[in-house]
Amino acid sequence: MYDSFAAKKRAEERALDKTDQEIIEKAIEDGVETAWDRLADQQPQCGFGQLGICCNRCSMGPCRIEPFGKKPVRGVCGATADTIVARNLLDDLATGAASHSDHGREVIEVLLETAEKKAQGYQILDEAKLVTVATEYGIKTDGRKKEEIAGDLARSMLEEFGTLKNSIRTVERAPPKTKEMWKKLGIVPRGVDREIVESMHRIHMGVDADYTNILLHAMRTSLSDGWGGSMMATEGSDILFGTPTPLTLTANLGTLKSDQVNIVLHGHNPILSEMIVKAAGDPGLKKLAQDKGAKGINLVGMCCTGNELLMRHGISIAGTFLDQELAIATGSVEVMVVDYQCIFPSITQTAGCYHTKVVTTSEKAKIPGSLYKEFKHETALVTAKEIVTLAIENFPNRNPDRVRIPKKPVTMMAGFSEEAIRKALGGTYKPLIDAIVAGKIKGVVGIVGCNNPKIKQDYGHITLGKELIKRDILVVETGCAAIASGKAGLLVPEAAALAGDGLKSVCNALGIPPILHMGSCVDCSRILVMAANVAKELGVGIGDLPLGGAAPEWYSQKAIAIGTYFVSSGVYTVLGVPPKIFGSQNVTTLLAAQLKDIVNASFAVEPDPVKAADLLEAEINRKRKALGI
Amino acid sequence: MKTVFVRPALCIGCRHCEVACAIEHSETGILFSAIHEEKISHPRIHVEVGENYLTFPNRCRHCDPAPCMQVCPTGALYREPETGSVVVAYDRCIDCAVCAMACPFGIIQFQKVYQLDTNREVNAKCDNCINRQIAGTIPACAEACKTGALEFGETNELIRTSRKDFTLRMLKSGGTDTEGTQIPANIRAFRAIIEAMAKL
Repeated sequence: MYDSFAAKKRAEERALDKTDQEIIEKAIEDGVETAWDRLADQQPQCGFGQLGICCNRCSMGPCRIEPFGKKPVRGVCGATADTIVARNLLDDLATGAASHSDHGREVIEVLLETAEKKAQGYQILDEAKLVTVATEYGIKTDGRKKEEIAGDLARSMLEEFGTLKNSIRTVERAPPKTKEMWKKLGIVPRGVDREIVESMHRIHMGVDADYTNILLHAMRTSLSDGWGGSMMATEGSDILFGTPTPLTLTANLGTLKSDQVNIVLHGHNPILSEMIVKAAGDPGLKKLAQDKGAKGINLVGMCCTGNELLMRHGISIAGTFLDQELAIATGSVEVMVVDYQCIFPSITQTAGCYHTKVVTTSEKAKIPGSLYKEFKHETALVTAKEIVTLAIENFPNRNPDRVRIPKKPVTMMAGFSEEAIRKALGGTYKPLIDAIVAGKIKGVVGIVGCNNPKIKQDYGHITLGKELIKRDILVVETGCAAIASGKAGLLVPEAAALAGDGLKSVCNALGIPPILHMGSCVDCSRILVMAANVAKELGVGIGDLPLGGAAPEWYSQKAIAIGTYFVSSGVYTVLGVPPKIFGSQNVTTLLAAQLKDIVNASFAVEPDPVKAADLLEAEINRKRKALGI
Repeated sequence: MKTVFVRPALCIGCRHCEVACAIEHSETGILFSAIHEEKISHPRIHVEVGENYLTFPNRCRHCDPAPCMQVCPTGALYREPETGSVVVAYDRCIDCAVCAMACPFGIIQFQKVYQLDTNREVNAKCDNCINRQIAGTIPACAEACKTGALEFGETNELIRTSRKDFTLRMLKSGGTDTEGTQIPANIRAFRAIIEAMAKL
């Protein structure tokens, strides 16, 4: 029997945000299964898996290592816990790097097709950025048409996915000292795809058995993502759709509207969602919506495709990873359009409880029970209009008795691209550096990553963010972490009141929030570029700067890639959920301690966000001291 | 007396024991066909998880005297003399669940069994794998357990191992180390993290 008191208590345990709690309660009342229920159903989760000592790679296995010091100490092939843990970690990391980079490839392919006038509805919006990036690539820009430049740039970038050239131009953005360190370690990435393919090769039985060697390649693969595939995704998206500048929008499930056609754009790539935005502006479709009794068409974002849209267009954001089922459970969503990554395979089950239709669009990501509308670049706008039409026609099927939308959307600021931050500072990082030297700002921490039902939704992000700004540490965010802060009202200039006196004065002088939204998860590359530019102004390596990274609620393999390219670039990173490495003391020690001697940064695992803030502050102080400030 | 001794500190929740138990009590005894049998065999051992994510494999203790045997109105539960196991004559079980009410460990579950022609559910509790024991092998759960959380042997012998271990540590540490089974540092660190997560 439904117990409203118990449901309320459970909702409070599951999520920090009141609007989320309201809809979690409704989902429980409606009998809708969510990720939290599935986590409970999965208990207990296999300890061999959690410790990373289960190997399911070949058919001599599956094998597992006894973690308490007894037999078996080796798999059938002879691999020890060290080898198995390292191979599993590299597998996860390569999956994450591949996800970011394949997303990047698609953006660059659209850039090429746009240049060749084969893509429908796309255009090159940011010519200035095109020229900047093309110049970095040594492409002639004087007196040439933007399409010609874009074509050359796209072809140069696509070449760097392969193995022929053996270098990636964007990696050159790193400061000399950092690059020198990579060269010494032999981890300069040679190609975006190459490192991922080599990862797959190395984890095959009988290839790499040396955990240190495996982890070094993991670092190289992560760099090919952060400084390669992800960075190209960011740059390509900026060239096509514009480099973000600060703007204001609204966030949380309250952005869904009771009297409009609601379309949720969920996934990662802006290629699809940008076209839906265009289609929704079509006067014919607006009229159709009115004919069907709706007051308009309401587009809202979800996860990182939402971040892409809000950064450039200020489109409202309905929520984070764990909000995808909740948005549907409001009963008010006509269509959820998805491309790929972080989409629950059960999302069509959730949609089946209401009138919501799930539209899949990528050949790479089909979901049983969804409506598949293949999104091809050459017919993009036509497909986008079909999807919007589908949503409008589904509006009359909405059952108002089953709709509950939280009342209060929250205002937030976003659009802090690296270029925008630099511009706000007057063209150079000198004012930021001065503030850091003067101690007004002690350092900068990037909080990134997902939600994970093992941690109360948004609790890790928000508690850590507040704790850091209180200690005069500027926070930059991407991905679901940034959306979480938006929902919690931390992304407005007024939130500076929660910061320490030093950071508060800087924020007030510039009119910025103490936590800056820098974009989607591939936009962690913006954080790298910012760190590189600051380091170059100072003539030091990234590892010398008082920086930190954190992923308090990560779940995805992509977060492993991000965390590793942060650490490999010299940024100490604290994880809130343990990675599957604890089955090997050697691997754990290497990642948590020994790396410090090699790249001047390491990983730490600390679920308690207040203690995580202590760790980050201590690391920032260590680096300040080393810099003599 | 032989038993399957449980050392909870060594359980890491992989549920190998559950799978091995279900296979052992299936009609075909083979994993790949057991999952397609008409009456699916369900585990008789249960890996339970606490609020702190730590696990415990809960299994019939084959008590003597056994409360379940004492309350069974039809005499369906009886003691197998050779191994001392408490077992069920499925054809005599009337599905009244009084045994389950009497069981101090709550391990009794009712399910359909291939041994009966009818579809009624009967007390299908752990039978201590007597067929395996008679054939000279150990119970399936203990065999499947890779960490030593389930260990089969003479009860007093197994207790003696724990006692010696404990005594040795007490002597070495001068009475300060009172913890149970010795757990490696990396596993202790991992458990501390998941316990911290459970508390957030």
